[in-house]
Amino acid sequence: MATTSFKDRNLLAVIGDEDTITGMLLAGIGNISQNQKRNFLVVDSKTPIPHIESIFEEFTERKDIAILLINQHIAEKIRPTVDKYERAFPALLEIPSKDHPYDPAKDSVLKRVQKLFGE
Amino acid sequence: MSGTGPRENIFPTRMALTNTKLRLKGAQTGHSLLAKKRDALTTRFRAILRKVDEAKRKMGRVMQLASFSLAEVTYATGDISYLVQEQAKSASFKVKAKQENVSGVVLPAFEVDRVPGTDFNLTGLGRGGQQVLRAKEVYAKAVETLVELASLQTAFMILDEVIRATNRRVNAIEHVVIPRLDNTIKYILSELDEMDREEFFRLKKVQGKKKRDTEAAEAQRKLLEQSEDVTSFIPEIEGGGGDLLSSKDEDIIF
Amino acid sequence: MEALLFNVNAGFLEGIVRGYKAGLLNQGHYNNLTQCETIEGLSATDYGNFLANEPLPISTSTITDKATQILVDQFNYLRSNSVAPLSKFFDYITYAYMIDNVILLITGTLHERNTQELLERCHPLGVFETLPALCVATNVEELYRTALIETPLAPYFRECLSAADLDDLNIEIIRNTLYKAYLEDFYTFCTSIGGPTADVMQRTLAFEADRRSINIAINSFGTELSKERRAKLFPAIGRLFPAGNNALARADDVEQVRQACEGVSEYRAFFESSPGGSSRAQNGGASESTARLLGDYGDGLEDLGAAGELEDRFFAYEVHLNKMAFLQQFQYGVFYAYLKLKEQEIRSLAWIAECIAQDARDRIQDYIPTF
Repeated sequence: MATTSFKDRNLLAVIGDEDTITGMLLAGIGNISQNQKRNFLVVDSKTPIPHIESIFEEFTERKDIAILLINQHIAEKIRPTVDKYERAFPALLEIPSKDHPYDPAKDSVLKRVQKLFGE
Repeated sequence: MSGTGPRENIFPTRMALTNTKLRLKGAQTGHSLLAKKRDALTTRFRAILRKVDEAKRKMGRVMQLASFSLAEVTYATGDISYLVQEQAKSASFKVKAKQENVSGVVLPAFEVDRVPGTDFNLTGLGRGGQQVLRAKEVYAKAVETLVELASLQTAFMILDEVIRATNRRVNAIEHVVIPRLDNTIKYILSELDEMDREEFFRLKKVQGKKKRDTEAAEAQRKLLEQSEDVTSFIPEIEGGGGDLLSSKDEDIIF
Repeated sequence: MEALLFNVNAGFLEGIVRGYKAGLLNQGHYNNLTQCETIEGLSATDYGNFLANEPLPISTSTITDKATQILVDQFNYLRSNSVAPLSKFFDYITYAYMIDNVILLITGTLHERNTQELLERCHPLGVFETLPALCVATNVEELYRTALIETPLAPYFRECLSAADLDDLNIEIIRNTLYKAYLEDFYTFCTSIGGPTADVMQRTLAFEADRRSINIAINSFGTELSKERRAKLFPAIGRLFPAGNNALARADDVEQVRQACEGVSEYRAFFESSPGGSSRAQNGGASESTARLLGDYGDGLEDLGAAGELEDRFFAYEVHLNKMAFLQQFQYGVFYAYLKLKEQEIRSLAWIAECIAQDARDRIQDYIPTF
């Protein structure tokens, strides 16, 4: 299904809080395309949830993104959308943030892993 | 017996029987092949599963370290997040996708493709530059871990999907296709047996009729011998009986 | 004769600032803080009140914000009660923040960001009236003519008008050029005040200048910043000037930087990498574990760890100098020193909070205690 298009995917995208984004950008993943489209979104307490959702959709629709990183506590906010997402590309990865340590129990993928282990 | 369970809608002939038997054989071979594939994939899947679990836990620690190095930056330089966000231009940290083949399933794997970028080189020039540099390295390393994890996870998702599909097919063959072919064969066999019996019965019947006819003819002949007048009727009766038989025969064969 | 007339104008404020100083956290407070289990536990100190109205959970940034707010309030109180030349002195202190704000706005403007958002992020001490007007400028020349000519920063900008366009490299250079000009100007101003103020402030500012020079030298290794341009960013004051600065300008690695600083005994100690009995010792250990976890970057991180240590020693020395400033009376240095100490305290507080939040207790001792 995805084998045809993944060759062009070479970017990482992030949805996260300010610190996470800063760190990721320092690592050098930041990219701004010609039409001022960024591959990262800073979410703070004021960011409306529909906006996060629309950006999430946008990133998952983009053809140049291979991996989408999202802070777990932000994924938590749009959990239904995240859980619905099952495509392999872009790979969705929930990452911990500074203020919210990683909780394996909430991870949508890890939940599946656990289910499979427990079968 | 033949009526129980679903079967294919074919005419019970010897030809169809041969065909169906061949198909059953094919289905059985396919089943064992698919089962083998499933086992191979599952082995791989288990390995990946374990790695995903491990990597996810490792990620927690690595990310904590990374954000701690960012805290060091903030300590030394002050808040640089905004500057960093504004100065991001083009990615120097990218990934390359490559393929890996596991039992005919193409698994993508991401590889870090990092070009030495000049972004943020001068961030914290006045102070804290070393911390910024350090944070850059730590984060780059953390992102590498994330990329690794992403490959594992993608492989996990795809394998999961493929294994499900394979499982479905194995189960379909095992529980639907093979029983149906079995049923069909049984049906054909029973129908053929039935036909055999009918044929046998018919032959018996014909034989019996013929015997009766001969007996009747014999009696007639004896009667004829006694009185010569009645003989002209006999051929008529024989012709009528022949008609009846031939039409019935056609029906059965048809 | 300073002493005779000092109290007429500044005696009240000096009293206030010494009172504020007494409110700085001491070692005992810090010890208590490091024992806290959660960030919420931090409110068990003098700082407790200012966090009282914050919704849980309290994040590190909230603490920093609130603590900075206190600092700003105190500073504004001092400033509004001051008369010349002390008010001028306060103005000078704010220029440093103004430089940062100007740079922030320029960067934001370059990338067409919302001005309002940018203004919110500016340091409150460095806000000035024409700040929002900066957003219209597209190059340095225009920036200077439209917005900055009115501000006290105008003379500093004259030096970097040559930078033709505003790209990210230039912005960082502009920032450092401005800062250099600012330091030199502040230094001249303090000298002109004379007396003990000049003594104390010259010492502090000289160190600040040297620290910048050393940092710029170390941080510009391996970047596209040429040596000539690097040399231009070094402030022309400080104890390293001029011979040390020249050596720094030519330096290619940390070793040469170390040699450049040989001439000043205090600075020599910064480069001695023996951990000694200082609390910095844990720093090395922590970076080792980092390196182990992160694999082959080990060597690089060790180097960086040492450099990070240098930064910490700078901080410690700065605190030391600022504490010295309080030993002398009848001079303005106390105000500057208090501001810097308070900033250091906020940083230490943030550090401790960070360590608690991230459960990095082995590094929690790495703050710089003020008193």
